[in-house]
Amino acid sequence: MGTEIPLLEWRQGRAAHRRRRAVAALLLVVLTLLSAWRCNVDFHSFATGIGKGVSLLELFFPPEWSGVSEMLQPIAVTTVIALIATLLGMCLSLPCALAASSNIAPRPLRLAMRSFIALERGLPEIVQMLLLVAIFGLGVIPGLIALSFSSIGMLAKLLADAIEEIEPHMLEAVEATGATRSQVIRYAVIPQILPALLANGLFRFEFNVRAGVILGAVGAGGIGFIMMTAMNSMNYQRACMATLLTLVLVFVSERVSDSFRARILDGGALR
Amino acid sequence: MLQVSNLLVQLPTGKRLVNDVSFSVGRGEFVSILGCSGAGKSLTLRCVVGLTRPTSGEIRLTDPRGKSYRTTSVGAKELRRARRHIGLIFQGSNLVKRLTVLENVMLGRLGHIHPLRSWLLGFTDAEARQAMEALDRVNMASCAARLAGSLSGGEMQRVSIARAIYQRPLIYLADEPISSLDPRNAEAIMSILQPLSRETPVIGAFHQPAVVARYCTRVIGVRAGQLVYDGSAQLSSRQLERIYGDANSETFAEETAAQPLLFEPGLQPALHPSLSSGVPV
Repeated sequence: MGTEIPLLEWRQGRAAHRRRRAVAALLLVVLTLLSAWRCNVDFHSFATGIGKGVSLLELFFPPEWSGVSEMLQPIAVTTVIALIATLLGMCLSLPCALAASSNIAPRPLRLAMRSFIALERGLPEIVQMLLLVAIFGLGVIPGLIALSFSSIGMLAKLLADAIEEIEPHMLEAVEATGATRSQVIRYAVIPQILPALLANGLFRFEFNVRAGVILGAVGAGGIGFIMMTAMNSMNYQRACMATLLTLVLVFVSERVSDSFRARILDGGALR
Repeated sequence: MLQVSNLLVQLPTGKRLVNDVSFSVGRGEFVSILGCSGAGKSLTLRCVVGLTRPTSGEIRLTDPRGKSYRTTSVGAKELRRARRHIGLIFQGSNLVKRLTVLENVMLGRLGHIHPLRSWLLGFTDAEARQAMEALDRVNMASCAARLAGSLSGGEMQRVSIARAIYQRPLIYLADEPISSLDPRNAEAIMSILQPLSRETPVIGAFHQPAVVARYCTRVIGVRAGQLVYDGSAQLSSRQLERIYGDANSETFAEETAAQPLLFEPGLQPALHPSLSSGVPV
Protein backbone atom coordinates (compact mmCIF):
# COMPACT_ATOMS: atom_id res chain seq x y z
CA MET A 1 0.00 0.00 0.00
CA GLY A 2 2.48 2.60 1.23
CA THR A 3 5.02 1.75 -1.48
CA GLU A 4 2.65 2.20 -4.47
CA ILE A 5 2.69 5.97 -4.62
CA PRO A 6 6.49 6.44 -4.35
CA LEU A 7 6.91 3.79 -7.06
CA LEU A 8 4.45 5.59 -9.30
CA GLU A 9 6.34 8.82 -8.79
CA TRP A 10 9.61 7.10 -9.60
CA ARG A 11 8.13 5.73 -12.82
CA GLN A 12 6.88 9.18 -13.81
CA GLY A 13 10.35 10.59 -13.13
CA ARG A 14 11.88 7.94 -15.36
CA ALA A 15 9.44 8.71 -18.17
CA ALA A 16 10.28 12.42 -17.94
CA HIS A 17 13.97 11.60 -18.01
CA ARG A 18 13.56 9.52 -21.19
CA ARG A 19 11.57 12.28 -22.85
CA ARG A 20 14.29 14.81 -22.07
CA ARG A 21 16.94 12.56 -23.57
CA ALA A 22 14.94 12.02 -26.79
CA VAL A 23 14.44 15.78 -27.20
CA ALA A 24 18.16 16.42 -26.64
CA ALA A 25 19.16 13.83 -29.28
CA LEU A 26 16.74 15.26 -31.81
CA LEU A 27 17.96 18.78 -31.15
CA LEU A 28 21.57 17.68 -31.71
CA VAL A 29 20.79 16.19 -35.14
CA VAL A 30 18.78 19.24 -36.24
CA LEU A 31 21.49 21.65 -35.11
CA THR A 32 24.19 19.70 -36.95
CA LEU A 33 22.26 19.68 -40.23
CA LEU A 34 21.28 23.32 -39.81
CA SER A 35 24.85 24.48 -39.26
CA ALA A 36 26.14 22.35 -42.16
CA TRP A 37 23.56 24.03 -44.42
CA ARG A 38 24.29 27.51 -43.06
CA CYS A 39 28.07 27.12 -43.56
CA ASN A 40 27.62 25.89 -47.15
CA VAL A 41 29.36 22.60 -46.49
CA ASP A 42 30.09 21.28 -49.96
CA PHE A 43 29.96 17.50 -49.88
CA HIS A 44 31.17 17.32 -53.46
CA SER A 45 34.52 19.04 -52.80
CA PHE A 46 34.84 16.84 -49.74
CA ALA A 47 34.87 13.78 -52.01
CA THR A 48 37.28 15.24 -54.60
CA GLY A 49 39.54 16.55 -51.80
CA ILE A 50 40.05 13.04 -50.50
CA GLY A 51 41.24 11.94 -53.95
CA LYS A 52 43.68 14.85 -54.13
CA GLY A 53 44.89 14.12 -50.62
CA VAL A 54 45.83 10.58 -51.49
CA SER A 55 47.96 11.66 -54.45
CA LEU A 56 49.56 14.41 -52.30
CA LEU A 57 50.33 11.81 -49.66
CA GLU A 58 52.50 9.97 -52.19
CA LEU A 59 54.75 13.03 -52.38
CA PHE A 60 55.55 12.59 -48.67
CA PHE A 61 57.19 9.22 -49.15
CA PRO A 62 59.82 8.11 -48.70
CA PRO A 63 60.77 10.39 -45.78
CA GLU A 64 64.05 12.22 -46.13
CA TRP A 65 66.11 9.98 -43.83
CA SER A 66 69.26 12.03 -44.36
CA GLY A 67 67.55 14.98 -42.64
CA VAL A 68 67.59 13.24 -39.24
CA SER A 69 71.04 14.41 -38.21
CA GLU A 70 70.27 18.10 -38.72
CA MET A 71 66.82 17.74 -37.10
CA LEU A 72 68.17 16.38 -33.82
CA GLN A 73 69.17 19.82 -32.62
CA PRO A 74 65.71 21.38 -33.28
CA ILE A 75 64.12 18.37 -31.52
CA ALA A 76 66.35 19.08 -28.54
CA VAL A 77 65.36 22.76 -28.63
CA THR A 78 61.65 21.90 -28.53
CA THR A 79 62.20 19.45 -25.67
CA VAL A 80 64.25 21.90 -23.63
CA ILE A 81 61.70 24.70 -24.15
CA ALA A 82 58.93 22.38 -22.93
CA LEU A 83 61.01 21.24 -19.96
CA ILE A 84 62.03 24.71 -18.80
CA ALA A 85 58.51 26.09 -19.29
CA THR A 86 57.11 23.23 -17.21
CA LEU A 87 59.64 23.68 -14.40
CA LEU A 88 59.11 27.45 -14.31
CA GLY A 89 55.37 26.89 -14.39
CA MET A 90 55.49 24.43 -11.49
CA CYS A 91 57.65 26.70 -9.32
CA LEU A 92 55.70 29.88 -9.97
CA SER A 93 52.24 28.31 -9.90
CA LEU A 94 52.65 27.37 -6.23
CA PRO A 95 52.65 30.94 -4.83
CA CYS A 96 49.93 31.88 -7.32
CA ALA A 97 47.79 28.92 -6.19
CA LEU A 98 48.27 29.84 -2.51
CA ALA A 99 47.20 33.39 -3.25
CA ALA A 100 44.16 32.13 -5.16
CA SER A 101 42.71 29.75 -2.56
CA SER A 102 39.94 30.79 -0.22
CA ASN A 103 41.25 28.92 2.84
CA ILE A 104 44.68 30.58 2.73
CA ALA A 105 44.53 34.01 1.15
CA PRO A 106 42.47 37.02 2.23
CA ARG A 107 39.57 37.81 -0.09
CA PRO A 108 41.00 40.79 -2.07
CA LEU A 109 44.22 38.93 -2.87
CA ARG A 110 42.30 35.83 -3.84
CA LEU A 111 39.98 37.73 -6.19
CA ALA A 112 42.91 39.53 -7.82
CA MET A 113 44.80 36.27 -8.35
CA ARG A 114 41.74 34.40 -9.60
CA SER A 115 41.05 37.09 -12.19
CA PHE A 116 44.69 37.13 -13.27
CA ILE A 117 44.54 33.36 -13.79
CA ALA A 118 41.24 33.60 -15.67
CA LEU A 119 42.63 36.34 -17.91
CA GLU A 120 45.78 34.36 -18.57
CA ARG A 121 43.80 31.23 -19.40
CA GLY A 122 41.53 33.22 -21.68
CA LEU A 123 44.43 33.88 -24.06
CA PRO A 124 45.53 30.81 -26.06
CA GLU A 125 49.29 30.14 -26.10
CA ILE A 126 49.50 31.08 -29.75
CA VAL A 127 47.95 34.52 -29.14
CA GLN A 128 50.36 35.13 -26.26
CA MET A 129 53.19 33.99 -28.50
CA LEU A 130 52.25 36.43 -31.27
CA LEU A 131 52.04 39.29 -28.76
CA LEU A 132 55.43 38.34 -27.35
CA VAL A 133 56.97 38.10 -30.81
CA ALA A 134 55.99 41.73 -31.28
CA ILE A 135 58.03 42.54 -28.16
CA PHE A 136 61.03 40.19 -28.31
CA GLY A 137 61.15 39.37 -32.00
CA LEU A 138 61.25 35.86 -33.40
CA GLY A 139 63.08 33.15 -31.50
CA VAL A 140 63.06 30.80 -28.56
CA ILE A 141 62.41 33.45 -25.88
CA PRO A 142 58.81 34.43 -26.77
CA GLY A 143 57.88 30.74 -27.11
CA LEU A 144 59.40 29.94 -23.75
CA ILE A 145 57.64 32.82 -22.04
CA ALA A 146 54.27 32.01 -23.63
CA LEU A 147 54.49 28.37 -22.58
CA SER A 148 55.66 29.25 -19.06
CA PHE A 149 52.80 31.66 -18.58
CA SER A 150 50.15 29.26 -19.74
CA SER A 151 51.70 26.53 -17.57
CA ILE A 152 51.41 28.84 -14.57
CA GLY A 153 47.79 29.58 -15.46
CA MET A 154 46.73 25.97 -15.72
CA LEU A 155 48.73 24.60 -12.77
CA ALA A 156 47.76 27.47 -10.46
CA LYS A 157 44.08 26.88 -11.15
CA LEU A 158 44.30 23.13 -10.54
CA LEU A 159 46.47 23.57 -7.44
CA ALA A 160 44.24 26.25 -5.95
CA ASP A 161 41.34 23.83 -6.24
CA ALA A 162 43.45 21.12 -4.58
CA ILE A 163 44.34 23.50 -1.75
CA GLU A 164 40.71 24.43 -1.19
CA GLU A 165 39.86 20.74 -0.87
CA ILE A 166 42.22 20.20 2.08
CA GLU A 167 40.17 19.32 5.15
CA PRO A 168 39.87 22.41 7.36
CA HIS A 169 40.50 20.33 10.48
CA MET A 170 43.94 19.40 9.19
CA LEU A 171 44.93 23.06 8.88
CA GLU A 172 43.32 23.99 12.18
CA ALA A 173 45.17 21.26 14.02
CA VAL A 174 48.52 22.65 12.88
CA GLU A 175 47.40 26.21 13.54
CA ALA A 176 46.25 25.28 17.04
CA THR A 177 49.82 24.44 18.07
CA GLY A 178 50.67 28.13 17.71
CA ALA A 179 52.10 27.82 14.22
CA THR A 180 52.21 30.85 11.94
CA ARG A 181 50.44 30.92 8.60
CA SER A 182 53.68 30.27 6.75
CA GLN A 183 54.32 27.22 8.93
CA VAL A 184 50.82 25.93 8.20
CA ILE A 185 51.65 26.28 4.50
CA ARG A 186 55.01 24.60 4.92
CA TYR A 187 53.81 21.60 6.96
CA ALA A 188 50.17 21.08 6.02
CA VAL A 189 49.39 22.66 2.65
CA ILE A 190 52.51 21.82 0.65
CA PRO A 191 52.82 18.16 1.69
CA GLN A 192 49.15 17.63 0.89
CA ILE A 193 49.26 19.16 -2.60
CA LEU A 194 52.72 17.98 -3.66
CA PRO A 195 51.35 14.88 -5.45
CA ALA A 196 48.87 17.06 -7.35
CA LEU A 197 51.65 19.48 -8.29
CA LEU A 198 53.91 16.73 -9.62
CA ALA A 199 51.20 14.76 -11.43
CA ASN A 200 49.73 17.83 -13.10
CA GLY A 201 53.20 19.14 -13.87
CA LEU A 202 53.95 15.94 -15.77
CA PHE A 203 50.72 16.26 -17.73
CA ARG A 204 51.65 19.81 -18.48
CA PHE A 205 55.05 18.66 -19.76
CA GLU A 206 53.38 16.42 -22.36
CA PHE A 207 51.14 19.28 -23.35
CA ASN A 208 54.08 21.70 -23.56
CA VAL A 209 55.94 19.39 -25.94
CA ARG A 210 52.99 19.39 -28.33
CA ALA A 211 52.27 23.10 -27.91
CA GLY A 212 55.99 23.80 -28.38
CA VAL A 213 55.83 22.23 -31.85
CA ILE A 214 52.94 24.52 -32.78
CA LEU A 215 54.62 27.62 -31.37
CA GLY A 216 57.73 26.62 -33.29
CA ALA A 217 55.75 26.90 -36.49
CA VAL A 218 54.93 30.54 -35.72
CA GLY A 219 58.53 31.41 -34.97
CA ALA A 220 59.71 29.87 -31.71
CA GLY A 221 62.22 27.64 -33.49
CA GLY A 222 62.62 23.94 -32.86
CA ILE A 223 61.10 21.11 -34.86
CA GLY A 224 57.90 23.03 -35.55
CA PHE A 225 59.86 25.65 -37.47
CA ILE A 226 61.61 22.98 -39.56
CA MET A 227 58.26 21.49 -40.42
CA MET A 228 56.84 24.86 -41.37
CA THR A 229 59.71 25.83 -43.67
CA ALA A 230 59.70 22.39 -45.29
CA MET A 231 55.98 22.64 -46.03
CA ASN A 232 56.29 26.19 -47.37
CA SER A 233 59.08 25.19 -49.74
CA MET A 234 57.01 22.12 -50.76
CA ASN A 235 59.77 19.82 -49.58
CA TYR A 236 57.23 17.22 -48.49
CA GLN A 237 59.65 14.37 -47.85
CA ARG A 238 61.54 16.56 -45.41
CA ALA A 239 58.25 17.54 -43.73
CA CYS A 240 57.42 13.86 -43.44
CA MET A 241 60.68 13.21 -41.62
CA ALA A 242 59.98 16.09 -39.24
CA THR A 243 56.49 14.68 -38.59
CA LEU A 244 57.91 11.26 -37.77
CA LEU A 245 60.43 12.77 -35.36
CA THR A 246 57.68 14.83 -33.72
CA LEU A 247 55.64 11.67 -33.24
CA VAL A 248 58.60 9.96 -31.60
CA LEU A 249 59.21 12.98 -29.36
CA VAL A 250 55.58 13.18 -28.22
CA PHE A 251 55.39 9.43 -27.70
CA VAL A 252 58.59 9.31 -25.63
CA SER A 253 57.60 12.30 -23.50
CA GLU A 254 54.26 10.66 -22.73
CA ARG A 255 55.89 7.38 -21.75
CA VAL A 256 58.37 9.15 -19.49
CA SER A 257 55.71 11.24 -17.79
CA ASP A 258 53.41 8.21 -17.40
CA SER A 259 56.07 6.20 -15.63
CA PHE A 260 56.88 9.08 -13.27
CA ARG A 261 53.21 9.62 -12.55
CA ALA A 262 52.67 5.96 -11.73
CA ARG A 263 55.51 6.17 -9.24
CA ILE A 264 54.01 9.27 -7.61
CA LEU A 265 50.58 7.72 -7.26
CA ASP A 266 52.16 4.69 -5.61
CA GLY A 267 53.07 7.07 -2.82
CA GLY A 268 56.81 6.58 -3.04
CA ALA A 269 59.25 9.40 -3.83
CA LEU A 270 57.10 11.84 -1.94
CA ARG A 271 59.16 12.91 0.99
CA MET B 1 45.05 26.20 35.47
CA LEU B 2 42.35 27.06 32.97
CA GLN B 3 39.70 29.60 33.80
CA VAL B 4 36.71 30.21 31.52
CA SER B 5 34.53 33.11 32.57
CA ASN B 6 31.15 34.14 31.15
CA LEU B 7 31.82 32.68 27.73
CA LEU B 8 29.27 33.79 25.16
CA VAL B 9 29.07 32.83 21.48
CA GLN B 10 26.25 34.54 19.66
CA LEU B 11 25.30 34.36 16.00
CA PRO B 12 24.41 37.57 14.17
CA THR B 13 20.82 36.29 14.29
CA GLY B 14 20.92 36.57 18.08
CA LYS B 15 20.97 32.84 18.71
CA ARG B 16 23.29 31.96 21.59
CA LEU B 17 25.31 28.83 20.91
CA VAL B 18 27.29 29.12 24.13
CA ASN B 19 25.46 31.07 26.78
CA ASP B 20 27.33 32.48 29.76
CA VAL B 21 29.45 29.42 30.51
CA SER B 22 31.99 29.62 33.35
CA PHE B 23 34.19 26.93 34.86
CA SER B 24 37.76 26.34 35.85
CA VAL B 25 39.97 23.30 35.59
CA GLY B 26 42.93 22.70 37.86
CA ARG B 27 45.68 20.22 38.69
CA GLY B 28 44.96 16.50 38.51
CA GLU B 29 41.56 16.86 36.94
CA PHE B 30 40.18 14.82 34.04
CA VAL B 31 37.07 16.80 33.09
CA SER B 32 34.47 15.62 30.63
CA ILE B 33 32.00 17.92 28.92
CA LEU B 34 28.79 16.05 28.21
CA GLY B 35 25.82 17.18 26.15
CA CYS B 36 23.83 16.50 23.00
CA SER B 37 25.31 17.21 19.57
CA GLY B 38 24.99 20.93 19.05
CA ALA B 39 24.85 21.73 22.77
CA GLY B 40 28.06 23.75 22.55
CA LYS B 41 30.73 21.29 23.71
CA SER B 42 33.04 21.52 20.73
CA LEU B 43 32.41 25.21 20.34
CA THR B 44 33.52 25.82 23.94
CA LEU B 45 36.73 23.90 23.32
CA ARG B 46 37.30 25.75 20.05
CA CYS B 47 36.99 29.03 21.93
CA VAL B 48 39.59 27.87 24.43
CA VAL B 49 42.21 27.45 21.66
CA GLY B 50 40.97 30.54 19.86
CA LEU B 51 39.86 28.72 16.70
CA THR B 52 36.50 30.41 17.18
CA ARG B 53 36.36 33.91 18.63
CA PRO B 54 33.67 34.20 21.28
CA THR B 55 31.33 37.17 21.32
CA SER B 56 32.37 37.94 24.89
CA GLY B 57 33.88 36.31 27.94
CA GLU B 58 37.40 35.59 29.05
CA ILE B 59 39.60 32.52 28.85
CA ARG B 60 42.79 32.53 30.88
CA LEU B 61 45.48 29.91 31.22
CA THR B 62 47.93 30.22 34.13
CA ASP B 63 51.21 28.34 34.47
CA PRO B 64 52.62 27.16 37.84
CA ARG B 65 54.86 30.22 38.06
CA GLY B 66 51.83 32.48 37.82
CA LYS B 67 52.36 33.70 34.26
CA SER B 68 49.04 33.84 32.44
CA TYR B 69 47.97 33.61 28.83
CA ARG B 70 44.67 34.64 27.27
CA THR B 71 43.05 33.36 24.10
CA THR B 72 40.22 35.88 24.11
CA SER B 73 40.47 39.46 22.86
CA VAL B 74 44.17 39.20 22.04
CA GLY B 75 46.15 39.85 18.86
CA ALA B 76 47.40 37.12 16.58
CA LYS B 77 50.87 37.06 18.11
CA GLU B 78 49.65 36.73 21.68
CA LEU B 79 47.13 34.11 20.62
CA ARG B 80 49.91 32.05 19.07
CA ARG B 81 51.92 32.36 22.28
CA ALA B 82 48.96 31.07 24.30
CA ARG B 83 48.33 28.23 21.89
CA ARG B 84 51.80 26.80 22.48
CA HIS B 85 50.58 25.82 25.92
CA ILE B 86 47.36 24.12 24.85
CA GLY B 87 47.57 20.55 23.58
CA LEU B 88 44.66 19.96 21.24
CA ILE B 89 43.45 16.46 20.38
CA PHE B 90 40.79 16.49 17.65
CA GLN B 91 38.44 13.72 16.74
CA GLY B 92 39.64 11.70 13.77
CA SER B 93 41.34 13.10 10.74
CA ASN B 94 43.45 15.97 11.99
CA LEU B 95 46.84 14.57 11.03
CA VAL B 96 48.62 15.79 7.91
CA LYS B 97 48.19 12.63 5.87
CA ARG B 98 51.14 13.15 3.55
CA LEU B 99 53.65 13.62 6.38
CA THR B 100 55.14 10.75 8.36
CA VAL B 101 53.91 9.89 11.83
CA LEU B 102 57.09 11.30 13.38
CA GLU B 103 56.81 14.56 11.44
CA ASN B 104 53.21 14.91 12.54
CA VAL B 105 54.28 14.61 16.18
CA MET B 106 57.00 17.22 15.66
CA LEU B 107 54.39 19.69 14.42
CA GLY B 108 53.35 19.94 18.08
CA ARG B 109 56.07 22.45 18.86
CA LEU B 110 55.85 24.61 15.72
CA GLY B 111 54.81 27.51 17.94
CA HIS B 112 58.31 27.46 19.50
CA ILE B 113 60.12 27.38 16.15
CA HIS B 114 60.95 30.42 14.07
CA PRO B 115 59.20 30.21 10.66
CA LEU B 116 62.50 30.85 8.90
CA ARG B 117 63.96 27.74 10.48
CA SER B 118 60.88 25.76 9.38
CA TRP B 119 61.53 26.73 5.78
CA LEU B 120 65.32 26.49 5.69
CA LEU B 121 66.40 23.75 8.08
CA GLY B 122 63.40 21.84 9.37
CA PHE B 123 63.44 19.91 12.63
CA THR B 124 66.51 19.06 14.71
CA ASP B 125 67.77 15.69 15.96
CA ALA B 126 66.89 16.62 19.54
CA GLU B 127 63.33 17.36 18.49
CA ALA B 128 63.08 14.04 16.67
CA ARG B 129 64.34 12.20 19.76
CA GLN B 130 61.77 13.86 22.04
CA ALA B 131 59.01 13.22 19.51
CA MET B 132 59.98 9.54 19.47
CA GLU B 133 59.67 9.45 23.26
CA ALA B 134 56.16 10.90 22.97
CA LEU B 135 55.27 8.29 20.36
CA ASP B 136 56.63 5.60 22.64
CA ARG B 137 54.26 6.71 25.40
CA VAL B 138 51.29 5.92 23.16
CA ASN B 139 52.90 2.72 21.84
CA MET B 140 53.30 4.00 18.31
CA ALA B 141 57.10 4.24 18.06
CA SER B 142 57.23 1.34 15.60
CA CYS B 143 55.05 3.30 13.12
CA ALA B 144 57.19 6.46 13.18
CA ALA B 145 58.27 6.25 9.54
CA ARG B 146 54.85 5.47 8.08
CA LEU B 147 52.73 8.09 6.33
CA ALA B 148 49.98 9.30 8.65
CA GLY B 149 47.38 8.66 5.94
CA SER B 150 48.06 4.93 6.10
CA LEU B 151 47.08 4.57 9.78
CA SER B 152 43.80 3.26 11.17
CA GLY B 153 41.47 5.56 13.10
CA GLY B 154 42.65 4.37 16.51
CA GLU B 155 46.30 4.72 15.51
CA MET B 156 45.72 8.25 14.19
CA GLN B 157 44.08 9.20 17.45
CA ARG B 158 47.08 7.91 19.40
CA VAL B 159 49.49 9.85 17.17
CA SER B 160 47.48 12.99 17.72
CA ILE B 161 47.79 12.42 21.48
CA ALA B 162 51.54 11.96 21.03
CA ARG B 163 51.66 15.29 19.23
CA ALA B 164 49.93 16.94 22.19
CA ILE B 165 52.27 15.19 24.67
CA TYR B 166 55.33 16.35 22.71
CA GLN B 167 53.97 19.87 22.88
CA ARG B 168 54.30 19.77 26.71
CA PRO B 169 51.20 21.92 27.24
CA LEU B 170 49.66 23.32 30.42
CA ILE B 171 46.36 21.64 29.56
CA TYR B 172 45.08 19.02 27.12
CA LEU B 173 41.88 19.63 25.18
CA ALA B 174 40.29 16.59 23.55
CA ASP B 175 37.38 17.16 21.20
CA GLU B 176 35.46 13.88 21.06
CA PRO B 177 38.64 11.79 20.99
CA ILE B 178 36.80 8.47 21.07
CA SER B 179 33.64 9.22 19.08
CA SER B 180 34.75 7.52 15.88
CA LEU B 181 36.41 4.54 17.58
CA ASP B 182 35.24 1.05 18.46
CA PRO B 183 34.89 0.26 22.20
CA ARG B 184 38.30 -1.41 22.51
CA ASN B 185 40.16 1.46 20.87
CA ALA B 186 38.10 3.90 22.92
CA GLU B 187 39.22 2.17 26.13
CA ALA B 188 42.82 2.27 24.91
CA ILE B 189 42.62 6.03 24.31
CA MET B 190 40.98 6.65 27.70
CA SER B 191 43.67 4.66 29.48
CA ILE B 192 46.30 6.84 27.81
CA LEU B 193 44.51 10.06 28.73
CA GLN B 194 43.83 9.12 32.36
CA PRO B 195 47.47 8.89 33.54
CA LEU B 196 48.26 12.02 31.50
CA SER B 197 45.65 13.93 33.46
CA ARG B 198 47.53 13.31 36.72
CA GLU B 199 50.44 15.43 35.43
CA THR B 200 48.51 17.91 33.28
CA PRO B 201 44.76 18.49 33.42
CA VAL B 202 42.69 17.06 30.57
CA ILE B 203 39.37 18.46 29.43
CA GLY B 204 37.44 16.59 26.78
CA ALA B 205 34.08 16.40 25.06
CA PHE B 206 32.50 12.95 25.16
CA HIS B 207 29.29 11.16 24.26
CA GLN B 208 29.67 8.10 26.50
CA PRO B 209 28.54 8.74 30.12
CA ALA B 210 29.43 5.18 31.15
CA VAL B 211 33.02 5.44 29.92
CA VAL B 212 33.31 8.92 31.40
CA ALA B 213 32.14 7.66 34.80
CA ARG B 214 35.00 5.17 34.88
CA TYR B 215 37.85 7.45 33.83
CA CYS B 216 37.01 11.08 34.54
CA THR B 217 37.14 12.97 37.81
CA ARG B 218 34.45 15.48 36.95
CA VAL B 219 31.65 16.19 34.51
CA ILE B 220 30.47 19.49 33.08
CA GLY B 221 27.03 19.19 31.49
CA VAL B 222 25.90 21.60 28.79
CA ARG B 223 22.49 21.84 27.20
CA ALA B 224 21.51 24.32 24.49
CA GLY B 225 24.62 26.36 25.23
CA GLN B 226 24.06 26.57 28.97
CA LEU B 227 25.92 24.94 31.81
CA VAL B 228 23.43 22.66 33.54
CA TYR B 229 25.67 20.42 35.64
CA ASP B 230 29.14 20.64 37.20
CA GLY B 231 30.18 17.90 39.59
CA SER B 232 31.03 14.27 40.09
CA ALA B 233 31.52 11.99 37.08
CA GLN B 234 29.07 9.50 38.57
CA LEU B 235 25.77 10.73 37.20
CA SER B 236 22.35 9.67 38.42
CA SER B 237 19.64 9.05 35.85
CA ARG B 238 17.98 12.33 36.85
CA GLN B 239 21.20 14.23 36.26
CA LEU B 240 21.62 12.49 32.90
CA GLU B 241 18.13 13.55 31.90
CA ARG B 242 18.96 17.09 32.94
CA ILE B 243 21.86 17.11 30.50
CA TYR B 244 20.43 15.11 27.61
CA GLY B 245 16.71 15.73 28.08
CA ASP B 246 14.02 13.16 27.52
CA ALA B 247 14.54 11.59 24.08
CA ASN B 248 10.78 11.43 23.57
CA SER B 249 10.05 15.04 24.37
CA GLU B 250 9.55 17.71 21.73
CA THR B 251 12.29 20.00 22.96
CA PHE B 252 14.78 17.18 22.42
CA ALA B 253 13.92 16.99 18.74
CA GLU B 254 14.16 20.75 18.45
CA GLU B 255 17.52 21.02 20.19
CA THR B 256 19.21 18.30 18.20
CA ALA B 257 17.76 19.54 14.93
CA ALA B 258 19.24 22.97 15.55
CA GLN B 259 22.82 21.71 15.38
CA PRO B 260 25.02 24.68 14.55
CA LEU B 261 27.73 24.04 12.02
CA LEU B 262 31.19 24.91 13.16
CA PHE B 263 31.70 26.89 9.98
CA GLU B 264 28.38 28.66 10.11
CA PRO B 265 28.51 32.17 8.65
CA GLY B 266 29.03 34.63 11.44
CA LEU B 267 31.43 32.33 13.26
CA GLN B 268 34.93 32.97 12.14
CA PRO B 269 36.14 29.95 10.21
CA ALA B 270 39.36 28.02 10.40
CA LEU B 271 42.32 30.12 9.45
CA HIS B 272 40.69 33.48 9.22
CA PRO B 273 40.93 34.97 12.70
CA SER B 274 44.70 35.02 12.64
CA LEU B 275 44.89 35.71 8.92
CA SER B 276 42.73 38.79 8.89
CA SER B 277 44.73 40.18 11.79
CA GLY B 278 47.90 40.16 9.73
CA VAL B 279 50.07 37.26 10.82
CA PRO B 280 53.55 37.76 9.41
CA VAL B 281 54.17 35.25 6.65
